[in-house]
Amino acid sequence: MTLYALCFALFLVGLYGLLTKRDLIKIILSSGIMGYACNLMLVLFGYRRGGVYPILERGREAGPMVDPLPQALVLTSIVIELGVTALLAALAIRLFQKYRTYDITKIRRLSG
Amino acid sequence: MTDKPAGMTLIIKTVCRLLVGLILLYGIYIILHGHLSPGGGFGGGVVLALGLLAVLLAYGREETLKWLRLGLLKDLEHASPLVFLLIGLAGTAWGGAFLANILSKGRLFALLSSGLILPLNVVIGLKVGLSLFLVVLAMAEFDLDKGAEE
Repeated sequence: MTLYALCFALFLVGLYGLLTKRDLIKIILSSGIMGYACNLMLVLFGYRRGGVYPILERGREAGPMVDPLPQALVLTSIVIELGVTALLAALAIRLFQKYRTYDITKIRRLSG
Repeated sequence: MTDKPAGMTLIIKTVCRLLVGLILLYGIYIILHGHLSPGGGFGGGVVLALGLLAVLLAYGREETLKWLRLGLLKDLEHASPLVFLLIGLAGTAWGGAFLANILSKGRLFALLSSGLILPLNVVIGLKVGLSLFLVVLAMAEFDLDKGAEE
């Protein structure tokens, strides 16, 4: 239970950064932290105490294993997060070209 | 930015030249052993991309593009989802379901023991590695000093 609470705390760290920081790069990093917290939570859901990684190897007995399904889900989630981060970074670069700053309080002109 | 020679110092360039082959080899190993050990197409593809990115960081864009053929990389990257789809449709045609296994399963724990998963891992590794590399390359082409030209 403590671990889940810590995951939620990590998520809140990301949310805090997303809401209060002014720098675009810090906002992108905060959204990444939120995503990592979600991934950690999903992997923890599939964890079994004393379980090993769910791969059968030569000479290994079949024993308690962690659940591979959340791990596959998280792999997909990591890929999507990567795409989102790349998109945000590209948008930040375009905004910097237009406004010469990463400060979102100075980016207020809404012209094409 | 303009009068400096492109890339980093000689030490970094030399180390990078020595290491990039090993990094790419490790990525290929992870891709090919994806069905036997932790790893697979995505992890190995990321290692491949990081090897190429080391070259990009050490040598700069111009030298890297002289070494790699960008058109070939783009074609491979665009073709790999199509190959994945074709493999899946081959499963539909001969195996009865999308991505159904149509190859021999071999002996347990052998390298060729996973049927269709090995070619699929190779395709995914190519796609992930080249996409990652091309994304960073596209971002490196942005000129921050260009300013608002419109």
